[in-house]
Amino acid sequence: MSSPLRSAIPSSAGAEQLRAGSDVRLSVEQVSYAYSPNPSQAPLFTLEALSFQAKPAEIVAILGPNACGKSTLLKLISGELQPMSGRIFLNGFETHALPAKTRAQRIAMVQQESRLLFPSRAWEFVLQGRHPYGRGMRFENSDDVLIAENALAQTGASHLSDRWMDKISGGEKQRIILARALAQQPLLLLLDEPTLHLDIGAQVDLLASLKRLAAENRYSVVVVTHELNLVGEYADQVVLLQKGKCLRVGPPATVYQRELLEQVFQAPLSVEMTASGRPRVTLFSKT
Amino acid sequence: MRPLTWERLLLRCGLLALILFGVVVVSLKMGAVQVSLYGLGRDLIHVLLGRSSAISTDYGMIVLNIRLPRILLGIVVGASLSVAGASFQALLRNPLADPYVLGISSGAALGAIVALIVESHMAISPEMAGLVTPFGAFIGAAITIAAVYLLGMRDGQMESSTLLLGGIISASFLSAVIMFLMTTLSGSNLRGTAFWLMGDLSTPQPKTLLYLLGIGFLLAAGAIYTTSSDLNLLLAGEKEAMHLGVEVRRVRIVVYIAASILTGLAVSVSGAIGYVGLLVPHVMRLIFGSDHRMLIPASALGGAIALVLADTLARTVVAPSDLPVGAMTAMAGAPLFIYLLRRRIA
Amino acid sequence: MLGKISHNSRRGRFVPRFRCQSSPRTILLVFALLFFLAEKVTAQANAASATPAQANTHEVVDEVGRSVRVPLVPTRIVSLAPNLTETVYALGLQDRLVGDTDYCDYPPEAQKKPKVGGAINPNLEQIAALRPDLVLVTKDLNRLDTVRALDTLGIPSYSTDAAHTIDGIISSTERLAGILGAAQAGKVVGDDLHRRLTTLQESLRSVPATHVLFVVWTQPLISAGKNTFIADALRKAGAISIVDSTQDWPQMSLEEVVHLQPDYLVFAADQTGAGTRAFEALVSLPGWQLLDAVRNRHYAVISDAVNRPAPRIVSAIEDLAHQLHPASFQDLPSLGKEIVPTNSTSPAGPQAGSFPPPDSLSGTCGMESSCAL
Repeated sequence: MSSPLRSAIPSSAGAEQLRAGSDVRLSVEQVSYAYSPNPSQAPLFTLEALSFQAKPAEIVAILGPNACGKSTLLKLISGELQPMSGRIFLNGFETHALPAKTRAQRIAMVQQESRLLFPSRAWEFVLQGRHPYGRGMRFENSDDVLIAENALAQTGASHLSDRWMDKISGGEKQRIILARALAQQPLLLLLDEPTLHLDIGAQVDLLASLKRLAAENRYSVVVVTHELNLVGEYADQVVLLQKGKCLRVGPPATVYQRELLEQVFQAPLSVEMTASGRPRVTLFSKT
Repeated sequence: MRPLTWERLLLRCGLLALILFGVVVVSLKMGAVQVSLYGLGRDLIHVLLGRSSAISTDYGMIVLNIRLPRILLGIVVGASLSVAGASFQALLRNPLADPYVLGISSGAALGAIVALIVESHMAISPEMAGLVTPFGAFIGAAITIAAVYLLGMRDGQMESSTLLLGGIISASFLSAVIMFLMTTLSGSNLRGTAFWLMGDLSTPQPKTLLYLLGIGFLLAAGAIYTTSSDLNLLLAGEKEAMHLGVEVRRVRIVVYIAASILTGLAVSVSGAIGYVGLLVPHVMRLIFGSDHRMLIPASALGGAIALVLADTLARTVVAPSDLPVGAMTAMAGAPLFIYLLRRRIA
Repeated sequence: MLGKISHNSRRGRFVPRFRCQSSPRTILLVFALLFFLAEKVTAQANAASATPAQANTHEVVDEVGRSVRVPLVPTRIVSLAPNLTETVYALGLQDRLVGDTDYCDYPPEAQKKPKVGGAINPNLEQIAALRPDLVLVTKDLNRLDTVRALDTLGIPSYSTDAAHTIDGIISSTERLAGILGAAQAGKVVGDDLHRRLTTLQESLRSVPATHVLFVVWTQPLISAGKNTFIADALRKAGAISIVDSTQDWPQMSLEEVVHLQPDYLVFAADQTGAGTRAFEALVSLPGWQLLDAVRNRHYAVISDAVNRPAPRIVSAIEDLAHQLHPASFQDLPSLGKEIVPTNSTSPAGPQAGSFPPPDSLSGTCGMESSCAL
């Protein structure tokens, strides 16, 4: 599926990991980010150096309160921003060295919303996901159509195929957007606060789908969210951030410590373990 | 799921081309001077076979020398303006965008007027004389393009809303300068400027210019066409396009320059013709959808059809006088625009 | 999952991929073919329409400095300006005029000639259909684009310069007559006009010039600048324009006019009564009562021939002189406000524009017969 890359050279560390036989897919190494609002001011650090890794079929949640740098981290991984220091490897290849099209064949970003200027049909929208595989003036062929239909089926949205994008509900739109990402046949799925506009049932549906898709297609999934319990239930790994600092990386059971969470979220809570080994957080009122 | 294929694209373009051909034939027939199509067809064959002395019809020469070049000019100008309009609408993510909103037409008009003034003070050989105005118009368009582009850049990113504002302001400013020049400098050359400013296809252009126009159109429209699938994605949003592998910056620059070249070329020979670049893409979008791989060629053909029709009306409605074609497009375009607006809201 | 997809595609429709490469090429080929055809057609058409007869033509330089090849005796003339049409009639060459503009309304016979559209936007096809061997244009009115278009079509055009003085108009008429192969008629007309002007100067010699404001338009108030032929016409009529601007059509403010206090207002009317109406309209505007000329109703209305640089302008000058200085002309018969061409005998007295026919036409046009202006 992947075309040979001429411009990206695997790092020694990445190659070593490959040789070692470990199946690390995404490797974020000492990545930090800062920007200067104007030239005379000292740069503000949005993100201090942090590292984590993701394996295939794994869901990694980037968790934290508002303005903690979650979205910045996601943008660094997706290639929208260049890290100030550190590097990001996908299957041993540095993501920033990849040309945009190749990167889009490996990394798919799922937005929350999609404002279209001129309305289009759902299948047109999903077919856009095949764009990274186009070459110049190529038109979509039967392979592309099959892949797009598959993507719709996997998100349970096949019945929406012929509908207009501006005439379906938010939850249905979310599924189409996800289908488009799947049509990219990526290695890595990125989602930025995907549950923000969804009701509780839809939230659970989405996370469950992500879990299933990750397992079936061996995606690595990175989700940015602040939903404690969804993360606790579905994530394989958690990256806990507060004010640009990474406080802990690990499976939910290790990260969900009461004192740590209370410090990060500034709210009294309690943590219990369920029968399946997953933590559950209960929030109390502040009085 | 029925994505666009080469076959469907060619079929639809073939249909449009057929309509264009029909319009051209009707247009050849209509005019202040009556011609018979059969005689004209025979004359055309004589000419193609090199036997121009065998031309039999009385007015065959008139049609071939005056009407046909005018129709061809209408085709290229109409196609250029429509493709430019479709491109700007995609680029700026604004359905109201067209070459005028960005002030490019006003810049071209000012360049043409300045060229006229300069020309009247210099001695120019006859061969060069016909090229001075279009050259000035093109330079004016290019300068405006660069200025509006720089105005619209912020942090190295082209921002649509700033670009639009910059364009509107430029258009107003340039129009004021034009008015000033026209009132203070009275000269016989400038008399025709008012006519030209309303859009006029009636002046036969030197052949070199026509070739330049045709080749320029093919190159610029071709460049835009290669980015058409990128434009489809840009419509969804810049971030999304980037995540889908579109090199947003490169595409914006290419499309902006190519669309501006198209506008500059068109305005330099025909003056300021309105509504074509704005409305033809909308109508084509209603019929064929907003996939730019279909929309760009459809806009080109649709624009050609629209302008040839408008020009034919302009030269026959109050024959023997020639109305400026821009007046025709405005008269037809404004009601159509209102209709389209209501359709969207309703 | 991935394996399943690729398996499916093998069973899918086969789309021949080679089309992607060759289709752009075929399109390019089609365009190249169209170009080639278009080139061939226009080249052949141009070659065939070039005037074959180089005999009976000579190279002349027109009044704006263009070098043009025109027939020695043009027989199919198209005029693209009303003043040129009038001049052609004045030279008696109207039988050779095959077309004029919609606005060529004087003499009335000119309205019956085939029309080619406006002066600014004539219809090129109509002009070409009349197969003229010479088209007359003027820098005063016609567009450069029109002249260039005629050049492209291989139709010779002769342009007169913008008129600035009455003498210039007369010499332009004589020069045009020469181009049209009627030099003798031109001389006769020119001499007659000069003679009338000289007579006029004689009558006005001892009279001081009247200060006038020539009103081109009332709202806004527009007059004629000092370099226009209208200003010169005023001078020849024993008047002097209070407008000192170098602009051709300056817009005047009421303050300026009140400050300069002209003795008379002059209107050019295209029909009787219109001048009076214009004056009344002006009077009703606020502030105009400050002018002596308005309170005393000192206004003159002359024919709109004063707006056209043609021989008829001299009649308008004479008319104005009579209105402004009636005392100087008491021993001469008064002239009517408009000179109308008659088919009857012309009035006795100063020849109001009658003249002998050109050399090339036979006829018995004499002083008192139907060729009167």
